[in-house]
Amino acid sequence: MVELRVNGSVYRIDTPVGRTLAEALRLDLGLTGTKVACGEGHCGACTVQLDGVPVLACITLAHTVGDREVTTIEGLREHPLVEAFVEADATQCGFCTPGQIVSAAALLESSPSPDSEAIRHAMAGNLCRCGTYPKIERAIHAVAGREKGG
Amino acid sequence: MELLRPDSPEAAAAALGNGSVALAGGTEVVPLLRDGILHADRLVEVREVLPRGVEGTAVGAATTLAELEVDPGIPQALREACALAASPQLRSMGTIGGNLLQATRCWYWRLKFPCYLHGGEECHAKAGQHREHAIFGNERCASAHPSDPAAALVALGARIRTSARELAVADLYRLPTDDNREVTTLEPGELILELDVPSPEASVYLKAMDRRKYSFALVGVAAARFADRVRLGLAGVAPVPWALDSADALEAATPLPGTAYKVDIARALIRRAVEAVGAADAAAT
Amino acid sequence: MARLIRTEKEVEGRYTEQWVVVEEDALEQWPEGPLHTVGRPAPRVDGLARARGEARYTQDLRLPGMLRTAVLRSPHARARVKRIDLGPAREAPGVRGVIGPGDLETLTNEPNYEGQAVAAVAADTIEDARAAVGLIGVEWEVLDPLLDAHVALERESFVAEPRRYERGDVEQGFAEADAVVEAEYRTQSVLHNALETHQTACEWEGDTLVVYTSTQFLWGVRDEVAAEFELPKDKVRVICRFMGGGFGAKGSAGDYTFIAAELARVTGRPVHCRLDRREENVNSGNRNPTIQKLRLGARADGTLTAIAGEYLCLLGWDGWLSPTAGPAQMLYACDNVATVEYGVRLNAPPMDAFRAPGFVEGTFGLECALDELAAKLDLDPLELRRRNHADHDPMDERPFSGKQLMECYRRAEKAWARRDEVRARSEGPWRRGVGIATQLWYGGGGPPSYAWVRLSGDGLITVVTAMQDIGTGTRTAMAQIAAEELGVPLERVTVELGDTAHGPYAVVSGGSSTTPSMGPAVRAAAADVARQIREISAQRFHVEERVLSLSDGRIVSADGGSWPLEEITGLLEDGQILGTGARGPNPAGMRVMTYGIQVAEVAVDVETGEVVVERIYAVHDIGRVINPLGAESQIEGGIIQAIGHSLSEQRLLDPRTGAVLTRTLDAYKLPTIADVPEIVSELIDVPDAHLTNLGSKGLGEPPIIPTAAAIANAIRDATGADVRSLPITRDELLQALREAARRERKLEQVGAPSA
Repeated sequence: MVELRVNGSVYRIDTPVGRTLAEALRLDLGLTGTKVACGEGHCGACTVQLDGVPVLACITLAHTVGDREVTTIEGLREHPLVEAFVEADATQCGFCTPGQIVSAAALLESSPSPDSEAIRHAMAGNLCRCGTYPKIERAIHAVAGREKGG
Repeated sequence: MELLRPDSPEAAAAALGNGSVALAGGTEVVPLLRDGILHADRLVEVREVLPRGVEGTAVGAATTLAELEVDPGIPQALREACALAASPQLRSMGTIGGNLLQATRCWYWRLKFPCYLHGGEECHAKAGQHREHAIFGNERCASAHPSDPAAALVALGARIRTSARELAVADLYRLPTDDNREVTTLEPGELILELDVPSPEASVYLKAMDRRKYSFALVGVAAARFADRVRLGLAGVAPVPWALDSADALEAATPLPGTAYKVDIARALIRRAVEAVGAADAAAT
Repeated sequence: MARLIRTEKEVEGRYTEQWVVVEEDALEQWPEGPLHTVGRPAPRVDGLARARGEARYTQDLRLPGMLRTAVLRSPHARARVKRIDLGPAREAPGVRGVIGPGDLETLTNEPNYEGQAVAAVAADTIEDARAAVGLIGVEWEVLDPLLDAHVALERESFVAEPRRYERGDVEQGFAEADAVVEAEYRTQSVLHNALETHQTACEWEGDTLVVYTSTQFLWGVRDEVAAEFELPKDKVRVICRFMGGGFGAKGSAGDYTFIAAELARVTGRPVHCRLDRREENVNSGNRNPTIQKLRLGARADGTLTAIAGEYLCLLGWDGWLSPTAGPAQMLYACDNVATVEYGVRLNAPPMDAFRAPGFVEGTFGLECALDELAAKLDLDPLELRRRNHADHDPMDERPFSGKQLMECYRRAEKAWARRDEVRARSEGPWRRGVGIATQLWYGGGGPPSYAWVRLSGDGLITVVTAMQDIGTGTRTAMAQIAAEELGVPLERVTVELGDTAHGPYAVVSGGSSTTPSMGPAVRAAAADVARQIREISAQRFHVEERVLSLSDGRIVSADGGSWPLEEITGLLEDGQILGTGARGPNPAGMRVMTYGIQVAEVAVDVETGEVVVERIYAVHDIGRVINPLGAESQIEGGIIQAIGHSLSEQRLLDPRTGAVLTRTLDAYKLPTIADVPEIVSELIDVPDAHLTNLGSKGLGEPPIIPTAAAIANAIRDATGADVRSLPITRDELLQALREAARRERKLEQVGAPSA
């Protein structure tokens, strides 16, 4: 048995030691907002926060999470970034979008008004094959209140 | 598979070996377990028990790369090497101790070709695709070592304290040989606890990669100046982090047909790095 | 009136003749320019569902009792299964079904490329399924793979007959030329890497097979699955409400679909079969590599006199010959053109369509060669392109239906004029330069495609059609069109799509054909509803129907009166007004194409071979623009993919075994947010007056086409190096710089005595 704190709730699940946090979230808890696109830590689609720090759920073992608070997209649905992503057209197929928003939320938490370079540094681990990157940058700027040209 | 949670570094070290594998950030161990390249009956979670953080010149092995890239107390070369390594998520997870032990990105090794490094007869990269591979130390195995921080620590002359001994970072590594294909000298029950990172007058890390961020080094060059002496450490050029005295030492490189370009890149980056640490004269000698 | 016509149908340059029944397209096109909703930026109607992680993709499905699948794939590029023992897998824990060669056509015992499916296991968990696959005993006879393109050419190992095209007399054309350039260009294999991998879940419901799949073409999957399992087509229901990218590779059913369906049949349970990222990058298709030998001749004034091209398209074991010579044949007015395209068969994974297949590769070669010609003639590259503008289709003299390429050239002048200033910013090892490249592509769409529109008593409108939104913003564009026609705000419209059992036939989401095929059908269906509202209103308000129109949520009379729409819909209570619409025919005797030009600004570190794309200006002509915001995103997305293709992405095969070495996303380098340049884009936004009731063409593919050539041309401008091979990695660029330096020295040596 492992106890997970996810989006403010505590869950107890019976899951093997080899199970990743991404699998535990998706299969054991039905939280399918966290996407798995590569399953080996290369693309960022599965990004969740552990105590506010962005990590890759697909290569984090559920049993090693301990008492750290897991925040997934389901816990960030009311975050202003969600609306900003939609307004800026920062979703195309949308498969990477939850991970992008989780990373962006962690960035804004630690650095409320990042410049473009800081955004690019913090978001480089979230791949988007559709190429929504310019719009992602715009959405983050918008929430940071620093959109260029108002 | 079982998960052990020892309550001290000593207990962690004691639990290692015999099918037990240390797990810290997990960024390397978890994928390798999945791929069947690494086998473990037991995982020993060491993240909570290893020293973490920077105190003077001491850097705890469990300090993450994300913590190091913004730490004003460590030399610039190490900070830059951490900032240019991997992705933000991987830097948040990965520890400096684990980073030093990461395996090569050689695709033949990762895809489990029966290559020299896996104990086989030949290096598949040499006759195959090897544009990311080595220009030094590649007689048997042409794999390239991927760690940016390791190159910086070699240039900085950092030392490692393990559960069993103290050694220079450079001595953590060895080229694979016919009777031993390991690329580190770490014993099965040995755990990296702490690093001692000397403070140079100036240091820098420059990295050439295939995209602007989040890519392993084609060539990474760290330079650190202590008084008049500049030490260089290179990533991506040999099966282990590679120390060089100067750009002249590139004459001794043994590139493969597809890696000759790395010599050119290394030459340019070494010149720039040496200039950056303020020792143009030292470079010429 | 329904009309039966014989028409040419085009998908990604593949033309077929077929009978279609089309409705007479009675609607006049809307006036040019932004309207109430169409032509104005609209955030995606499904954006919140995607951003909040609520959109359910095929990967998120959890049907009760659903089994997971692992597939035994050939580890060899060419081999024979001498003996296979599925027994141990059948006995393994959690296993509910095992199939092997003979059970399905897609399972082979003679694999001809690495990764070809041999057997498959359905089990309670993916871990059980994988473990069981590991227990399948196979004795292989490993055979030598054919991997060398030139050997294959010698042996005439072709997937398709070589395709030859000729007009005029090229030798005569070269004889008339004042300058000739000849060079070999190479493009690499690139991998689609949609973030949702190819996958399907199948479930039998009585005699109906329900197929949940990540697809660009619901109806195509339906037909393939029906044929494979000998089912009536309507006994196969295909569902895809949200899908995580396709880029061309999700146009057909794929082995995973057949495997899931067969295992569902065998086990009597729902079965999910999903490719993992590594399988994805081996088995799900790729943009095939090309080797292009090009020769261009022109007179001193720049008039092209001859284009000759030989294209080796290394398709892998299977696939089709995409129109790689298309740009050489169609982009410029040149009287003498001869091309031959070989579809080379190798023991490598088969190609599949990838965003403008053929034209991406062919444009790279042609547009680089054209710049080399411009240099030789000492002509301005933009001017050279203008001088060779094709006023009609050079292949068959047909007029182009709506061509604004000259306007694109005019608008690009401003970006092109930056080159002196850009070059002047070169400093130290960093050299800067500017390059351009032109593009044309299909994108006109066509029939058949249908839509239904439903207006309810509460005044809400639902568009129903069994199409798919692959991430391009289809739902939003269709909602805008219906809202425009019905004169209501966008918020009142919902688009229901993604299920062959819920709605009429719709076109494949590929070939830039979705909007131009579906948009007119949706407009026609909405117009059908609008007509009924007018008819009812005329009766209700005692006015003549012909004076009524719909606008701003009101029924407006030209005679002055107006009534809220609710006054009519309120009468309906549970009643509904239903409209149907069909896509009309394409203009007869005309060629429908899309056009554009891009200007790239690059910085090159000549010591380390680093290339930084600093700015891309793009201007494209796709007829009427439905959603400028979504269109801008399509342009940016295409350019960013193209930057990956240009600089960092390449599938590498082991030359001995044919194994795909770059199947993981650390080795296969997609662009990250840090690789994105400043992108400035414009659309001409003039409706194609001949094309349907909308005048819109597709935009999915055009923006990816010219970028690589523009970047390579900018690198030449910056450094003098001829980069003729993609991707332009550091090794490639340093090599090109060395050759340029050697050429320079030679010139100096030759030049010295005569000076």
